[in-house]
Amino acid sequence: MRKFTKPTWFAIGWLGLMMFFSLFGWLLPFKPWNFVFEDDLEVGLFSSGHLLGTDSNGYDLLSSAVAGTRMSIFIAIAAVGLGGLIGSVLGILAAYLRGKIDTVMVTIFNVGLSVPNLVLALALVSVLATNVDINQAVPTWRRVMVLIISLTIVLIPILGRIARGATLSWSGREFVTAARSMGMKDSKIILRHIVPNVLPALIAVAFLAVGVVIIAEASLSILGVGIPDGASWGGMIARGRNDLEYAPHVLYVPIVFLALTVISTNHLGDVVRSKLDSREAKV
Amino acid sequence: MSSLLSVKNMSINFDTPRGSLEAVRGVDIEIPAGMSVGIVGESGSGKTVMCRAAMGLLQGSNVKRSGTVVFDGHELTAMSKEEVRNLFGSGMAMIFQDPMTALNPVRRIGSQLSESLRVRLGMSKADAMARSKELLELVRIPNAAAILKSFPYQLSGGMRQRVMIAIAIACNPKLLFADEPTTALDVTVQAQILQLLRELREDLKMSMVLVTHDLGVVAGNTDYVAVMYAGEVVEYAPTKKLFADMRMPYTEALLESIPKVDHKSGTRLAMIVGRLPDPTDRGAGCSFAPRCKYAQEKCHKVHPELKKDPDGHLYRCWFPIGEAK
Amino acid sequence: MAGSGTAHMRNTVDSVLTVRDLTVEFRVAKDKIVKAVSGLSFDVIRGETLAIVGESGCGKTTLARAVLQLPPPNSGEVVLDGTDLTLLPKENLRSARTSMQMIFQDPISSLDPRMTVHQLIDEPLEIWDRGTRAERDERINNLLNNVGLEPELVLNRRSYEFSGGQCQRISIARALALDPRMLICDEPVSALDVSIQAQILNLLQDMKDRFGLTMIFISHDLAVVKAVSNRVMVMYLGKICEVATPEALYSRPAHHYTKALLDSVPIADPTRQRKTELLQGEPPSPMNPPSGCRFRTRCHAATSRCADQEPQLQEVAPGQFVACHHPIV
Repeated sequence: MRKFTKPTWFAIGWLGLMMFFSLFGWLLPFKPWNFVFEDDLEVGLFSSGHLLGTDSNGYDLLSSAVAGTRMSIFIAIAAVGLGGLIGSVLGILAAYLRGKIDTVMVTIFNVGLSVPNLVLALALVSVLATNVDINQAVPTWRRVMVLIISLTIVLIPILGRIARGATLSWSGREFVTAARSMGMKDSKIILRHIVPNVLPALIAVAFLAVGVVIIAEASLSILGVGIPDGASWGGMIARGRNDLEYAPHVLYVPIVFLALTVISTNHLGDVVRSKLDSREAKV
Repeated sequence: MSSLLSVKNMSINFDTPRGSLEAVRGVDIEIPAGMSVGIVGESGSGKTVMCRAAMGLLQGSNVKRSGTVVFDGHELTAMSKEEVRNLFGSGMAMIFQDPMTALNPVRRIGSQLSESLRVRLGMSKADAMARSKELLELVRIPNAAAILKSFPYQLSGGMRQRVMIAIAIACNPKLLFADEPTTALDVTVQAQILQLLRELREDLKMSMVLVTHDLGVVAGNTDYVAVMYAGEVVEYAPTKKLFADMRMPYTEALLESIPKVDHKSGTRLAMIVGRLPDPTDRGAGCSFAPRCKYAQEKCHKVHPELKKDPDGHLYRCWFPIGEAK
Repeated sequence: MAGSGTAHMRNTVDSVLTVRDLTVEFRVAKDKIVKAVSGLSFDVIRGETLAIVGESGCGKTTLARAVLQLPPPNSGEVVLDGTDLTLLPKENLRSARTSMQMIFQDPISSLDPRMTVHQLIDEPLEIWDRGTRAERDERINNLLNNVGLEPELVLNRRSYEFSGGQCQRISIARALALDPRMLICDEPVSALDVSIQAQILNLLQDMKDRFGLTMIFISHDLAVVKAVSNRVMVMYLGKICEVATPEALYSRPAHHYTKALLDSVPIADPTRQRKTELLQGEPPSPMNPPSGCRFRTRCHAATSRCADQEPQLQEVAPGQFVACHHPIV
């Protein structure tokens, strides 16, 4: 049944490459992303020594892009993973237990959803990850932490609502009533019957969420509140803003990386969802 | 007695990931004008697919259809979708099993009813509303004026079915397809709806095709009965004759296996063993043979043809009931 | 109709289940309460099959769930083998429930689509630790054979690979795994094809005979009910109309609603079609049931007494009880 189409294979391949760079990129023989090639400023694409060129400051674009995968993918997976875990636990419990717990949870979700994610991230970063003295840099890991936290907070209600909706529909099925009448404990029913049936829907959405988070992180970095100093794709775009007129390739490189990654995650999310739908149709 | 609707040699196949699904094979049916024909069958018999195809409602790139359908002199299978659609309303109309999905939940009843009148008969808005009210009264809905302003979710199942009937008869169709119209309804409501259909048929001189799995429903509401099994017509006769003189072992077994109200209680039911045949794998021989208690070797090997008795009774069996074996 | 009363209760030691004054109500809006079941009482004797018949909205399914305490009723007592389930704390209820198992209407939705047949039937045995792995496997095979399925062919497959009839057999096997005293069947054959219904009905009868089960059989189909039951209880809008043996009920219905139900059943014989007056109108809303007898708004024999006074069940013939001020004689 593994009949994937060409686009799906491309998506899998590209994401695989990104994951590889993310995990092992630092082992590869690239020059560090912030190494200044003083003699090679604004070199174009496919030049010798610099596969994707350099920007006006002398940074090698390929190295930067590879280094960027680490940040972008790590942050996206961490945020989606954490947000998904917390959100689905809350959503599943709310829908299964109903009553007051459900009402409270739905209210929390609704409040969370009404906060625009970029504004929240800006607020958190400026409070938690910026020094009063702007000349003193903030450690990158602190920025990363705050970013992940703010994106997680945004994701919890989104994934929580989906988990809640799916749980509501599965809890109404007769096999759950049958399990109760057999004397099964609620906790076991949730783990054994609800979670495995809700998980596929969540995974499909998680793929889409990864794409959204990558873009969000890039946007924040362009605004200057993301990863400092260009160690991410958004940062590359921020750094290269001024080069648009004379050396546009400086922007194309991170944009292409971004676009292909998000397209791939979206596509795989769709593929998972349609495989799910066809299986559900049989049920 | 001329035929209002004539289906000849219709076969319908669906392409599915599991292979080619043969829903209907080589079906011939004649619906005489002014008569009510029942089509009885279970899941996989092809009855619903065939009706949709006869009305030109079967769509999709995975559908392969062959055979002809002639309605009132028009050959539907040779006409374009536009032309077939023009026949709806005044020529043919259909009512379905689940009125909730057949009615638009976000539009008021009056609006849905009058739409057909305005589009098809060119009535003005006021005239269409007045006629809609008349139609609701025709289908015996009390308080018609209030119902015109209601939404489908505010009505019960029986009421929604009446509304669907009203929409169907709005343009006085010659032929009404009723696809399991009472299956989802309670038994007392079912009786009311069937009585309504009987009365409407007489008043409007309408022919009807009644698709159902319930032999009791056909017994009291049809002039002719066609029994379908595994995509084919296996028996066809006037209703009284079919029940009095069954030919097909399947029809007999079906009748014997349904519990009846005057049955002695506590006894075991005569059941049909085995399962319904797989539409992706029809196999050789008679499709009922694996479950037939009269089956002989020929039945498993050779596919029976449709035979006709001198009195018009059609059946598809090598060893029909009533003949020397 | 629809009245209450306990005249039809037999109050013997042989009762497996005794339900008294059961009430189930749902609040759907601030001032709207659906009175699904109102003050109902009945009992089931060992080895009996009690059929509960009624149309949609009469409360029969709600009644079945309330007996299982899923969810528990608003008031009333449910005494199973001497223990009142409504008074049990959660843990004890969990184990008490296993003496009553339920078969549902939708065969496919009754089974978790992600589990194999083996896991499905093993589940109850595993929860209550009934034996070693080997003993459980053997029991599973026996159960499958009992319901007419070959273990080797089905153990590793999942519900969506089976037909409705087969799924129902699997559900029955699962329900019997814990050796219940009582089986509650909620419209077990309504979703099945006609030619399969008889198979499953016969199977239920066989299982009942073999394992000495007591059954409650819920259905809207009067013909099905006649074939399987010893006693029939007709419900309307949350109340009982009539309780009798099938023979009495079907040949000499005493309640006007029962008669209307019987008159509506289509007869599979074109020469014997009825020409009787059909029941008109729709059932009233369960949020606002009529006062007194709940059937009076559609009953042609209703009088002012029917509006003022709720009829109680009274015996009109040996073993036949009806809640009506003017029963059919």
